[in-house]
Amino acid sequence: MTVDLRKDFVNYAKSLNAASEDKNIRTAISRAVTSYRNTVTETLERFPHTPELAEEVQEIKRQSMANLDNLLETAMASVERNKGKAFYAKDHQAALDIALGIIGKGKTVVKGKSMLGEELHLREYLEDNGNEVWETDLGEFILQLRKERPMHILSPSIHVPREQVAEVFTKFFGKVVPPDIAEEVKVVKEFLREKYFTADIGISGANVVAADTGAMVIIENEGNVRLATGAPPVHIVMVGVEKLVPTFQEAMKVAEVTWRYAQYGVPGYVNIVSGPSKTGDIEKVTTYGAHGPKEFYVIFVDNGRNEMAHEEKFSQALHCLRCGGCMYECPVFQVTAGHFGHTYMGGIGAIWTAFVSGGMEKAAPLVYSCLRCGRCVERCPMSINVPAMIGELRERVIYGKLEG
Amino acid sequence: MTVETKMPMVLDVISENIIKHGSPLALKGSEVSSWAKELDLPAKGEVLFYTGGEYQMLPFIDSLVKTITHLDQGSKVFSMMMGARNILNKTGFSPEKMYASVLAKDKDRYNSVCFKAAKVLQELGYEFCYSGKEELYSGALLYELGYLQDMEDYVKRVVEVIKKSGAKTIVCLSPHAAEVFKFVYPKMVEGFDFEIRTYVDLVWERRDKLAKLQSAESVVIHDSCRLARELGIHQELRDILVSIGADVKEAPMSREWTSCCGGPIKILFPELSHVIGERRVTELKESGSSHILTSCPYCLSALEAGRIKGDSAVVEDLIEFLYRGVKA
Repeated sequence: MTVDLRKDFVNYAKSLNAASEDKNIRTAISRAVTSYRNTVTETLERFPHTPELAEEVQEIKRQSMANLDNLLETAMASVERNKGKAFYAKDHQAALDIALGIIGKGKTVVKGKSMLGEELHLREYLEDNGNEVWETDLGEFILQLRKERPMHILSPSIHVPREQVAEVFTKFFGKVVPPDIAEEVKVVKEFLREKYFTADIGISGANVVAADTGAMVIIENEGNVRLATGAPPVHIVMVGVEKLVPTFQEAMKVAEVTWRYAQYGVPGYVNIVSGPSKTGDIEKVTTYGAHGPKEFYVIFVDNGRNEMAHEEKFSQALHCLRCGGCMYECPVFQVTAGHFGHTYMGGIGAIWTAFVSGGMEKAAPLVYSCLRCGRCVERCPMSINVPAMIGELRERVIYGKLEG
Repeated sequence: MTVETKMPMVLDVISENIIKHGSPLALKGSEVSSWAKELDLPAKGEVLFYTGGEYQMLPFIDSLVKTITHLDQGSKVFSMMMGARNILNKTGFSPEKMYASVLAKDKDRYNSVCFKAAKVLQELGYEFCYSGKEELYSGALLYELGYLQDMEDYVKRVVEVIKKSGAKTIVCLSPHAAEVFKFVYPKMVEGFDFEIRTYVDLVWERRDKLAKLQSAESVVIHDSCRLARELGIHQELRDILVSIGADVKEAPMSREWTSCCGGPIKILFPELSHVIGERRVTELKESGSSHILTSCPYCLSALEAGRIKGDSAVVEDLIEFLYRGVKA
């Protein structure tokens, strides 16, 4: 069999060139890079123990990935023990089927930002199956209206300036929204507030999962996750198995390193959710669904991650905390943003594309647009050796090893 | 399951050229080594001066990229080119014909970098040998582009040539060559125990002997990614320049945080590579100096291309800069 990748390379080069000429991307990323570097420098000075903690987290991650099957079993048992329901989804379709099985049709869903959601095309799938789904992260909400895909994992609409936001909001809300950021934030807040309290289901991801307690740790600034996972009667967590660590204490370490490198400094909110809302205030009889959700589901998604964990040369890629720091340091990403990516972006994204989201054919052009310059490794709190993995993937592409 | 993958033609051309002709652009050994004519360097010795033909091929890279990469690879013209390529395969890639558009002054400039490097080292009292027209390219691009299996065969030929010199130490002008000799060859060739050094390293050791600058010029260093991050050489460049009396300015991102010049993706994504090079030149100029020095052939070429038309910036290899002192 022959796989001809030449056209893919040509089209990809065109999209990169177009992106590199996009003034919005250029301005937004320059601003973002400066602010990222400044914030990280400043917060590392304020919290100088962070690099050492990051090294500790590397070890936690290494052991967790080596022990993934056990951790998954423990975590699922913990969730069940907490009166939640735990599921394991082997692949993409299984994850969507399980989610749809819980949700059904004709429901209103509010959703937090999740790269796994992007990987699965979750919103589109639920919509196609007769549900109303709202992205509650402001950036994702903007992209939902613009029918676009994220250009950065943490700041998905980084390429859209306020004027363009005003334009799309004016059209959507049917009233004039001025190109004023505070006004733009306000109008979305008013709109979504009603959705949180009328929604049937809230969906979130998780940044870390502690297997021993079944605790889902979700870091955020906007407060949308807090509302989306607290107000509706049902909360579904969809999380990649690579987010598992053995204990609650370790989860806190991972969380702190994540937010520090993800430019939160100190995050506005850290949500820890381990089960449905409950009360024992009347006669010490535990009753579920007090103020928060009555039902709590966790879907652990594999979709290629386990295979990656078992590949000596690639398991380190699962240590990625998704802080996004590498992207700010990547000279290609700096001028093309998410165009250097499929679902996952930048050099690490090319690796994730190969194993998890898209496959080798989709990954091949991305793999060849990496400079292998290695600055991402300098930034990465997990010191993930992306250039080495890119080299390995190139070898697989050249010699036709396109499947695992 | 394995399949046959059809990759952009430029990859085929470069990898085949290396494997068949010992040069990514199929330059002839006589052409690559022409710089050494007057120097009469011995073929054997303790220390081997290794160019890998990398500086010499710089002026031809852009022509190759223009000729091949810009074609729409699904078009009829491309199919015709594929035919042309087969002919080229049989006859060998003929740079003389393919790259007729290359300017003579560019050819002269890049060809003389090796000469200048050798002169600087001689001036510092180093003795070395050179494989001349037999010298083969290190194969760094095979490693870089994923042709690892082909490289395993190829390196055997390179090692054979190196061994003929009887040298124990290899001095590399290009950090890419130093990188593969240091980290890749030992995994592929049993008993590959040569001491691998860079040109910068040797100069640094005897920097006190370098001629001082007549007046304190301000310069800014563009650290090559390979040199700074893989080989850990960045302070040495500053030491060398300070010792000859240069005023070394620092760019916002330097040393192990250096920004890539864009060179590595030039053959597949030339426009983007150019944008990245341009941005790096701008970043380097933020140091307050427009005299940019680097120590890597690809950085030299990419930054040179990254100068916007009419830009007052000067881009030089450290070798070229130091040679001016030798000549004076």
